[in-house]
Amino acid sequence: MDPFINDLIVYWPQLLAGLERTLILMVIVSLTGLAGGVCVFYLTLVKSSILHKWTEAYISFFIGTPLLVHLFLMYYGLPQLGIRLSALTVAVIGFTLNVSAYNARYLATAYNGLDKEELEAARAQGFKHSETFRLIILPQVMRLSVPSLTNQVIQNLKDTSVAFLIQYHDLFAQIQEIASSNFHFFKAYMTAALVYLALVSIVVLAARRFERFISLPGFETH
Amino acid sequence: MTFPDIMIILARGAGYTILVTIASVSAGLAAGLFLSVLGTLRWKAVSFFLGAYTYVFRSIPVLVLLFLVFFGLPGLGIRISPFVSIVLTLGLISGAYLAEIFRGAMAGVGQDEILAAEASGMNRMQVFLYIIFPQMFRMSIPGMINEFTTVLKYTPFAYTVGIPEIMKEAMSLAVMTLRGLEIYLALGIIYFIIYRLFVMLFMTLEKKYRIPGLAPE
Amino acid sequence: MALIQVRNLVKKFDGRDVLKGVSIDLYKGQAKVLMGTSGCGKSTLLRCLNLLVQPTSGQVIFKGEDITLPGVDVRKVRGEIGFVFQHFALYRHLTVEENVTLGLRKIKKIKSREASEKASYELNRVGMFEHRNKYPAQLSGGQKQRAAIVRALAMDPDVLFLDEPTSALDPQMSREVVTVINRLFLDNITMFCVTHDAFLAKYISDSIVFMDDGVIVAEDIAERLFYESADPRIKQFFMSVADHR
Ligand SMILES: Nc1ncnc2c1ncn2[C@@H]1O[C@H](COP(=O)(O)OP(=O)(O)O)[C@@H](O)[C@H]1O
Ligand SMILES: [Mg+2]
Repeated sequence: MDPFINDLIVYWPQLLAGLERTLILMVIVSLTGLAGGVCVFYLTLVKSSILHKWTEAYISFFIGTPLLVHLFLMYYGLPQLGIRLSALTVAVIGFTLNVSAYNARYLATAYNGLDKEELEAARAQGFKHSETFRLIILPQVMRLSVPSLTNQVIQNLKDTSVAFLIQYHDLFAQIQEIASSNFHFFKAYMTAALVYLALVSIVVLAARRFERFISLPGFETH
Repeated sequence: MTFPDIMIILARGAGYTILVTIASVSAGLAAGLFLSVLGTLRWKAVSFFLGAYTYVFRSIPVLVLLFLVFFGLPGLGIRISPFVSIVLTLGLISGAYLAEIFRGAMAGVGQDEILAAEASGMNRMQVFLYIIFPQMFRMSIPGMINEFTTVLKYTPFAYTVGIPEIMKEAMSLAVMTLRGLEIYLALGIIYFIIYRLFVMLFMTLEKKYRIPGLAPE
Repeated sequence: MALIQVRNLVKKFDGRDVLKGVSIDLYKGQAKVLMGTSGCGKSTLLRCLNLLVQPTSGQVIFKGEDITLPGVDVRKVRGEIGFVFQHFALYRHLTVEENVTLGLRKIKKIKSREASEKASYELNRVGMFEHRNKYPAQLSGGQKQRAAIVRALAMDPDVLFLDEPTSALDPQMSREVVTVINRLFLDNITMFCVTHDAFLAKYISDSIVFMDDGVIVAEDIAERLFYESADPRIKQFFMSVADHR
């Protein structure tokens, strides 16, 4: 048998543990990023001009700066203040701030395409601002942004590989370890690429089903 | 060492970051354009290849591809410099995204305009050069700005293959001074400034070459 | 006393006077039509009356209370005024029935079962019962507007505002909607309706208000306004409306 395959079998438990950490990080930040994105999007609609500016600045800053810098800032910078966070905590906070900014932008784009007369109708019926948001705006912009939001989940999955640079022992970190012990770098990274390809394919298929599941007449996204 | 000092020290390394970004985006643009032009041929084998290309390079994480290229390829006897590795990696990946952006923009070019151009006796190449490309390129600008931003944000990975861009500078400075907090904060600000400057540049160019009725939303 | 009394209503947008001191009364059971050239301030007037637009000055007295004063429960006022829009403004992610029941459940706090019974009853009256489970994207324009009228009526409003309810419809669909509004008129529903359609105006109103450039120029019954008015603005308006038909 190919010695590399043999190594994969030997290291199997470690690989599985790494896969689990990758998936955990992806699932957590996809959920927190969605919740955060909805909150930030809500803030972009607030009339107060100061809050509006700050929200725009937040979105712009996190879209314009690398995730890796935020991760390093928290992982290597904060201990200077005596704050030591685990790699997972840092990754979750960093990803959430980033992903929220992107998701908020997708939702805001969808919002710009909404029929404003419809929102006026909700006000005319006597709905509060928060009710209009929850009952009319959100169900529509979420449906319209499904392709962008699911793309973001795929992006999250791929970007979790960055976390190994702050010592998070995800799948990629484990594969690295195997590579540095047997020096089969090409095979190791090829394996990593294939595993991510497979994982992304699963997410893509799930996203398609989900899109069909929540699609309504007038909200077809494909 | 004050915060402005840190900013100045880091800003000196920004040139490499900008160089990597521009080289990668150029590679991506070339790849994306080539692929989208290939796509217009509508040959079965070609469209299968295009589909596979975009699918693969939109699925593999940047870091994985970079390591495969820089650390993996030598195992097959192919040695590539760190700079070429990062440019190749980011170029292949952004090429996949840009091809999609161009394809979408091309679908928006009016069929009747193409027909009119063909009727006036232009060949395929001329139709593409004079009718499709100018419209498609303008409509792709928002997508290109997004892709540019993405590439800029992935350039810090270059430090993992030993390129002396600002991330690497920041890391060695942090190790020396133990002031990671200020240093990484300064780093974030510098990236943000680069990002804003480039967006402003693109916006000015876009405005300058804008044609009424042809502006992307 | 009038259900709605408007006194000296002024609305400025960016320093420009859009309404220049409008006074008007609407009594219970009365149906009024508001006509006037495009951009003269009709929609703005309607929106000032349910505070979708905040008036700059003047009074709007609704059921004896000046609703332009601070501290008024704006949402309660809006809940008591039905509003029908030119482009239907149905909630696109909800079925016809859900469009009708949403306000009943969330604002009137009526239980789902009752709300849905009420919706069915009202939808049936305008021939929309069979379409109750369809989404707006699956309806014709006339069906959408009938659903929108039901959505407003189901809340049992004191008055129904309609802002050009047939302008976005072709003649056939427009007829469906006029028939429905005409029945409301015959049922003595209090209505205030903006329209350019002289035909609609005549068959659904007790009187017609003519507005020009932010002021009310005349108020009269249809026949006298259409055929006997000496005012050149009114004459010109009805000539241009007739041209369109
Ligand atoms: N929100 C607004 N901001 C600024 N100007 C407005 C606004 N709404 C309406 N206007 C202006 O007020 C004038 C009257 O508009 P409107 O009441 O919609 O006219 P109508 O319904 O009679 O056609 C128009 O000139 C319009 O441009
Ligand atoms: Mg109007």
